Amino acid sequence: MTNENNNLLVIKIGQLIDGISKSVKKDISIVINGNQIVDVKPSGELDIPENLNYKLLDYSDKTALPGLVDSHVHLTGIGDGRTGDELVTLSDEILSINMANNARVHLQSGVTTVRDCGAKNNTAFHLRQAVEMGIAESPRLVLSGRPLAIIGGHLGYFGEEITGEDECRAAVRYLVKQGADFIKVTATGGSTRTSFPLRPSFSQQELNVIAEEAHKFGKHVAAHCASSEAMKRVLNAGIDTIIHGVFKEVDGTNKYREDIAELIAEKGAYVNPTIGAASLKIKTMESKKENGNFTEQDQEELDSINREQEHRLECFNKLINLGVPMSAGSDSAWGQYKMGNYFEEIEAHVKGGQSPIDAIMSATNIASKSCWIDDNLGSIETGKLADILIVKEDPTKQIENLRTVVDVIKDGQLIDRQSLL
Amino acid sequence: MSEQSVIKSKIMIDMVNKNPIEDGAVIFENGLITLSGHYEKIKNKIKFNAKIYDYNDSVLIPGMVDCHTHHNGFGDGRSGDSIGGMEDNILSIKSAKNAKTSLFSGVTTIRENGPKNLTMMKLRDAVNQGLAIAPRMVLPGRPIAIIGGHMGYFGGEVTGPVESLALARQLIKEGVDYFKITATGGSTATSFPLRPSFSQKELDAVTNEAKNYGLLTATHCLSMEGIDNSLNAGVDMIIHCNFDNEKGESKFNEKLAEKIAKKGAFVNPTLHVGRARLWNLAIGKNPSLGGGENKKRLSSSIRSDRKDILEARLDAAKLSLENKLDHCRQMIDMGLKVITGSDSSWGDYSLGNTFHETELLVESGYSNYEGLKSVTINAAMALGLGDTAGSIAKGKSADFAILKSNPLDDIKNLSSVEEVFLMGQHIDRGSDESNKTYSQIKPAQF
Repeated sequence: MTNENNNLLVIKIGQLIDGISKSVKKDISIVINGNQIVDVKPSGELDIPENLNYKLLDYSDKTALPGLVDSHVHLTGIGDGRTGDELVTLSDEILSINMANNARVHLQSGVTTVRDCGAKNNTAFHLRQAVEMGIAESPRLVLSGRPLAIIGGHLGYFGEEITGEDECRAAVRYLVKQGADFIKVTATGGSTRTSFPLRPSFSQQELNVIAEEAHKFGKHVAAHCASSEAMKRVLNAGIDTIIHGVFKEVDGTNKYREDIAELIAEKGAYVNPTIGAASLKIKTMESKKENGNFTEQDQEELDSINREQEHRLECFNKLINLGVPMSAGSDSAWGQYKMGNYFEEIEAHVKGGQSPIDAIMSATNIASKSCWIDDNLGSIETGKLADILIVKEDPTKQIENLRTVVDVIKDGQLIDRQSLL
Repeated sequence: MSEQSVIKSKIMIDMVNKNPIEDGAVIFENGLITLSGHYEKIKNKIKFNAKIYDYNDSVLIPGMVDCHTHHNGFGDGRSGDSIGGMEDNILSIKSAKNAKTSLFSGVTTIRENGPKNLTMMKLRDAVNQGLAIAPRMVLPGRPIAIIGGHMGYFGGEVTGPVESLALARQLIKEGVDYFKITATGGSTATSFPLRPSFSQKELDAVTNEAKNYGLLTATHCLSMEGIDNSLNAGVDMIIHCNFDNEKGESKFNEKLAEKIAKKGAFVNPTLHVGRARLWNLAIGKNPSLGGGENKKRLSSSIRSDRKDILEARLDAAKLSLENKLDHCRQMIDMGLKVITGSDSSWGDYSLGNTFHETELLVESGYSNYEGLKSVTINAAMALGLGDTAGSIAKGKSADFAILKSNPLDDIKNLSSVEEVFLMGQHIDRGSDESNKTYSQIKPAQF
């Protein structure tokens, strides 16, 4: 506050959710210098010297929370239902244009940091360059570049199919050289046509090497796991985040595995459950049903999604009871999940049993921890970067209030939420 | 199901009738204009369920046509050489953003003059995929250049009539709409602006193939021999059209101008790109290098902030602009077909400010109405789009700009864009604030 650099912004807020405390604080002022929070205190105790000029944003009747951290996005996605296999038939240039649009849309919706879990070739790194050149608006980017996949494995079409320990090591080194902030590995198959979602993909040795090499450079690893067996492997390899974490046996049966759940808790791994997409799909289908335009086939599909989702939410609930940290991440714009709708995922966390404040923590502080960026982000505290979301209604009362976004502040700057440029 | 739409205005300047029409209105359907005229005279043709856009306080004009754009560009003084070195993905992101800027600024048709590799063709693909929006785009693929020639870094360097023909065919295969050829050097560091680049035979190879496929051609000409070669080859548009000899002396050549007139070629003089550089020099920004400056091989000292060097550059830029304005005035007096092509975002001229170029054509002798023609109907004709764009007439594309103020009172009012329609679609331009971010404003001292 004694800083001579007169670039002060004071944000007065009615309620603060700081991302650390589970209780909501009233009548707080956040003091920002440049892009950094320099003070957070009750408005009554504000003591800015009179001769110091500052800009004031008054949100006395509104709620502030840390800018949202979406720990799982695919900026390359379109969210119109096309599969990844179809998506990659588009050229890198087109995908780059799409990524830049998606980045802007997500930022304007209140997400100030994203962890991108896989894009084709060099497009993610080129997006970062474009952002640094000032030609694209974007949340902060935590990038994996290309996900590591086995030949024919999930997301292999993004350009990093590898086999054996040496190739795994080389791939990690090359991605780190290109600027990857973390390593994404697909430890089971997935929606990729040539892959096997119920089977583990990489061997234990390969996973060990990936984790070891990434950690050597201070990078974390997040592993896509669409079935149970692979979770054991990735945990043994010391991988940091389990993505999806679907409890499914090799024969396709849904079964919660206590042994694996306990191993997750023991290892302290984060889980990114990605339960919003199904929740969104169920909503869409139910509204279609209400409009009467529903076939028998639609009903079967809805029943099946409901069954799966019920299992997913049950497992989610058991994991939170075990104290496993849940890192919220939307997985948009994969499949039918368009960017700018992160709140669907956070609402699903509440459906799964988290309280609204816990779900908000999952989407801020815990997400930032799972992305290894919590030194600077994920909470509103002195010393952290000034990424702040202002909402009209209190989301701790009702999580849907996260949709009432008023303003988005990133790096101490107000984002123009209506800009299309 | 087709929906009829109607725009009502205070004043409609349709570029068909010499006089503006008060209470003018236009009816359109399926993206095409079906009727226009005084509202009272056409209102009985409006269907009961038509969508009405009521702009009763505003001026309705055809969407603008900019014959010369660089959507890969930045317009912040950086050189073409540095843009040529950028990744295609990054240039694609920039192009998509620039295309929105063009459209939001009221420009509904552009002719691109020099993108790298396939970047603009890919932007077109993205538009067709519904992943981007852009004005109607007339694309050259990449410019055709000699080895080391102007914009050769964009990926189209060829030698000899056969290679020239092969590149022309390759570009046709890629789906281009016209050929851009650099007939002299330019700002490209390895090129020679005062010398012709291609031989007559090489130029002929490209223009003949263009005629074969009904495509137009345009050549970049910073000196007279390049203009003459281009005219001999039957090029349809002369760009820049600098009357410089090989010593760099700039003097209007009436004979050459007469030849342009006789051949019926359009002229795109690109005046503001020089003025934008002058503005940046004057306010002490680090502007682009002028056409000749790179040849002085002073790249380290020319970027210096030494006062004498800056002043010398400022004087040279002033003189160059004065010459260009004077030569443009003479071409206009002779009745040459001079049209608006902004050349943005090249050098220091950033996209979204096409009106600056039209303003200088007015300063060079056009009336406001003629200036407006140069950026609408005449520009459309120069692009071979006379049946599609450039005026508000039955059967044409429903491309409109809605202006707050009348450009016939002051041509700069072309910048007072409030709404834009492209092919019958009302364009969401986003916040007003965001539309201020691209406007390039004249420094106070000018």
